[in-house]
Amino acid sequence: MTVLWIVLGLLALVLADVPIAVALGLSAVVAMALETGLRDMPNVPLTLFDGAVKFSLIAVPLFILAGSIMNASGISRRLIALTSSLIGFVRGGLAMVTIGTSLFFAEISGSAVADVAALGSVLIPSMKRKGYTKEFAAAVTSSAATLAVIIPPSIPMILYAVMAGTSVVELFVAGIVPGVFGGLLLMGAAYRIAIRRGFPSDTAFQWARVKSAFREAAWALLLPVIILGGIFSGWVTATEGAGLAVVAAAAIGGLVYRELDWKRLRESTVEGSIQTAVVMLLVATSALLGEYLTAMQVPQKFAEQLLAFTDSQLAILALLNVFFLLIGLFLHSAAAIILVVPIVMPLVSQAGIDPVHFGLVVTLNLGIGQQTPPVASVLLTACSIAKAGIWDVSRVNVVFISVLLFVLLLVTYVPAIPMALVDLFYR
Amino acid sequence: MPRRVRVLLSRFLEIAVVGITASLALLVVVGVISRKAGYSLVWYDEVAAILLAWLTFYGAALAALHRAHLGFPNLVRRAPLRVRRGFAVLREVAIIGFFALAAWMGFELLAVLGGTFLVSLPWLPARVVYSAIPVGAALFIVAEITAAIDAWQQERHAS
Repeated sequence: MTVLWIVLGLLALVLADVPIAVALGLSAVVAMALETGLRDMPNVPLTLFDGAVKFSLIAVPLFILAGSIMNASGISRRLIALTSSLIGFVRGGLAMVTIGTSLFFAEISGSAVADVAALGSVLIPSMKRKGYTKEFAAAVTSSAATLAVIIPPSIPMILYAVMAGTSVVELFVAGIVPGVFGGLLLMGAAYRIAIRRGFPSDTAFQWARVKSAFREAAWALLLPVIILGGIFSGWVTATEGAGLAVVAAAAIGGLVYRELDWKRLRESTVEGSIQTAVVMLLVATSALLGEYLTAMQVPQKFAEQLLAFTDSQLAILALLNVFFLLIGLFLHSAAAIILVVPIVMPLVSQAGIDPVHFGLVVTLNLGIGQQTPPVASVLLTACSIAKAGIWDVSRVNVVFISVLLFVLLLVTYVPAIPMALVDLFYR
Repeated sequence: MPRRVRVLLSRFLEIAVVGITASLALLVVVGVISRKAGYSLVWYDEVAAILLAWLTFYGAALAALHRAHLGFPNLVRRAPLRVRRGFAVLREVAIIGFFALAAWMGFELLAVLGGTFLVSLPWLPARVVYSAIPVGAALFIVAEITAAIDAWQQERHAS
């Protein structure tokens, strides 16, 4: 009964606009006080500190920093120019360039919001100038960035791996096929809309332009090779790969391109540190509540109750997908992963679902949640750059969200799509 | 006065988080290089994780100053002004109450930790490591109050 009151109290605090991290911490403190009086209060700072001391999560600020360096050193601009020279000649060329560059950028940065902010600030105004509607420009940029969260490296995947106690490298590998396939589907959808609405191509295809853009971007193209090659080959861990990403981006931006804008870098490092701290405070305070819920065996009881209702893997995956889509409407993906994943993991393992497969389902599902208001950080960033209304953009975005939901269905019910590469190389 | 506090606090916290993030990146790279060279640093994992914890608590205070912590403001935002003000007070009491407890218990912890040192770096006092909790919590409270005064003044101008 106490658990129910604690959960209701947590919900009430969140609805009253108390930051989720504080709501988690306060609920845990009240629960501890109800169970053991004030005896365990001295443990609060220790649990908070230990909750934040997670070596694997060091990759989060480092991948954000690598993305900041890319933006501050002209690397993103060169990637856009290269993609434009390759696929800009197609009808709706700039939309294709947005999707293509977003998938490539995702191989270095790991954050969907960073993706939208970096690419959207260049590509959304360009699309508007070429006659695309601002709503379409915002929708395509936002959806492409969401798909990018399943392309390695990915911050939500790192968070999931820590919360579920599974391999981050296997998760990264599982994201490759669905990410690329989803990208092609998004391009197909953008192409159809471009034909129907008469959006133009970007520029004519010219080998000379491809060659010059390739020469300019050659060093930038080395970045994913260094980072993902190092991680997938087992030469470095994901955290160390993130460190390499920072050094490689700084070396290429500062020494090769000589365009590192220090003022912009400092500002984006502060911004990135705030993003990291916001997520990490959630991790720390969720450790307080997690301790209480584990002691009360809440995750195990939840698994028992649901398995008594059905033990079909397909039904459990469907229920969890609907549940995550619903909470994705109201919670940021990091908050949802930190709050819910530890509670549902015993159910997932007892139902015989591979935790890596489930990780991909959760990451993509919550990524889609970032496209659906009211809480939709990725969509909001794109809308703010495009100066477009969130509901007007959402109407256009229905097509792209449908594509993402189709990819989610495939990932959920055809496990071979995400898992074939994992089985081939790691098992 | 709140404006001056805001500027000073913001500058201090920005320098702190940029310094910690840069040190973290440098440390991870040095850790990889030394491991590949066959001279693994025994303190590398522990110190890197501690730096992440420091980034968490000092960065959280900076995030409070920018009102950047994740929440669900959509419901309260639609409420009438008086109800909204009531919720704003509740929010501040909840935040300040939680971090006051963390700061108080954190300072008590530092007193208990006197004379203990890290296992991997025996010259580094545990008090220095864990100081991020009470200091970070105290700075969080100051940041929250400053940001709340700003928000209140802005709302008063708007209405």
